[in-house]
Amino acid sequence: MTTGARMSFTTAARRVFDLSLGEMLWSRRTIFMALVVAGPVLLALIARGVEVFGMSALRVNGRPVPGFSIFGVMIWSLYLFFIVPVLGLFYGTALMADEVEDKTITYLFTRPVARGAVLVGKYLAYLACTILVVLPSVMIVYFMLVPFSQLPSTFGNLVIDLGLLALGLAVYGALFAFVGAFFKRPLLIGLVYTFGFQQTVLALPGSLKQFTVAFYMNALVPHVMPSDGVSSLLQSMFKENPPLWVCLFWLFAILAGFLYLATRVVERKEYILEQ
Amino acid sequence: MTDLVHAEGLSKWYGQVSGLNNVTVSIPPGITGLLGPNGAGKSTFMKLMTGQLKPSQGTIRVLGEPIWGNPPIFARIGFCPEQDAFYDRMTGLEWVTALVRLNGHSDADADAAAKRALERVELLDAAGKKIGAYSKGMRQRVKMAQALVHDPDLLILDEPLTGMDPLMRRKTIRLIKDWARAGKHIIVSSHILHEIEAMTSNILLINNGRIVAEGNVHTIRDLIDTHPHTVYVRGADPRALARRFLVEDDVLSMKFESDAVVVETARPDSFYARLTELAASGEAGQIDEVQSPDDNLQAVFKYLVKQ
Repeated sequence: MTTGARMSFTTAARRVFDLSLGEMLWSRRTIFMALVVAGPVLLALIARGVEVFGMSALRVNGRPVPGFSIFGVMIWSLYLFFIVPVLGLFYGTALMADEVEDKTITYLFTRPVARGAVLVGKYLAYLACTILVVLPSVMIVYFMLVPFSQLPSTFGNLVIDLGLLALGLAVYGALFAFVGAFFKRPLLIGLVYTFGFQQTVLALPGSLKQFTVAFYMNALVPHVMPSDGVSSLLQSMFKENPPLWVCLFWLFAILAGFLYLATRVVERKEYILEQ
Repeated sequence: MTDLVHAEGLSKWYGQVSGLNNVTVSIPPGITGLLGPNGAGKSTFMKLMTGQLKPSQGTIRVLGEPIWGNPPIFARIGFCPEQDAFYDRMTGLEWVTALVRLNGHSDADADAAAKRALERVELLDAAGKKIGAYSKGMRQRVKMAQALVHDPDLLILDEPLTGMDPLMRRKTIRLIKDWARAGKHIIVSSHILHEIEAMTSNILLINNGRIVAEGNVHTIRDLIDTHPHTVYVRGADPRALARRFLVEDDVLSMKFESDAVVVETARPDSFYARLTELAASGEAGQIDEVQSPDDNLQAVFKYLVKQ
């Protein structure tokens, strides 16, 4: 007889991660994600193509905007404002829902692992999966837009951008893992929060914006938008600059807090499979 | 040993719908068959005894412990669910290995245990094939493999023979009986009396969310035999099958359905025995699937409930 050893929470979560990563990577949702991140790559390709013909992809006050600034615009307006929250929303809310819909949750819940470890394992798989797709696309965009001569001076910013996007995926994923576990219509609630509540309160004066993830994420963006353009106008509306440590503290607090709450909900929730 | 399962005033409601209604029952060690038509409450009862559902009222203890919110107890329980749900992109070996790793086995142990389990259900040859490419019978067997891979004390099997061909049914029944002979315990559900009868004489009859009767299978056996029994047989050559079925007088009527023949028999035992021999000999072509609708049992339940 082979008897398994009693596992710790982290070991159990790691094993659920091993089981889930492959399934997640080859799911239809990943095709959707690949299409989403293909957008910025396509835009970068167009910008590059325009430059080949001696034109400038973006001009502000008649002056051409350098490639690294265009890259900054894309990081801020495409990745942080749209791609990262959308991926966090679609993956985070589906962490348990996919298993329930596919009726495979039974196999995980009839093993000697805490249900919370199942959620954390699947969350880590989501994080690995999205990072594996999103970050390479950012690097492709960077190398397409930034001239070779500027690489040494801007590479540090690229590393910060990559870390920032990974942090964004982690925070939004944890937030929406909780939304997915707790609410009956998580996608709708997530969309309202991300593109309704967040965007509205960020544009308004007052302290309500401190209840958004985007507030802290925006403050960490290292890029300055090209002046006098729409992006700089938007950035001036949305961007405030709380200290770095405050932003990091709150982002990690949101991540840990919502992930903990999500595990608590999953531990207590009854999943009824459709017959 | 204490009872495997002890339920006290156990009820489960899905909103306004009652899945199980005030059930008080003790399931003794050994093999116990849970028999009832579809929608009787078998799956609800099994989900309650595997901690997937929380009782709306009452209590349920498995192997002496509460089951809801008690993951460590699953080290001693193996569960084969009814639903045909898998990670289709994984191979049988990958899937069973990944699941037994959740029981705390090391990588090397998990791989060896998975291979042993797949061998027990005669699926080792197809272990490297993707589950998505498995036949219905193979999918049933790989589900069985994941349930017994960690050598549990208690196996809970929800309709485990569904979709298996006659030979595999016989082998699976033998596997279940061997498991019990090795000192393990099994609770198995079915809507087909003959399947249950082949495994155990100890049954629980369930209908409309209530335990209608419990005890020895022979007490309801005669009742079943007074009702014609319908068997759906799908094979490569349904007409050849029909010709062979007509040789004996245990067949009351027959009809054809695309690649299957549906037989009504008054003597299911002798018919099933013939069917197994026919499958083994291959005289009437390959038999792919045998199913028995629960109409037969439903009639008996109506009778029991009236009594």
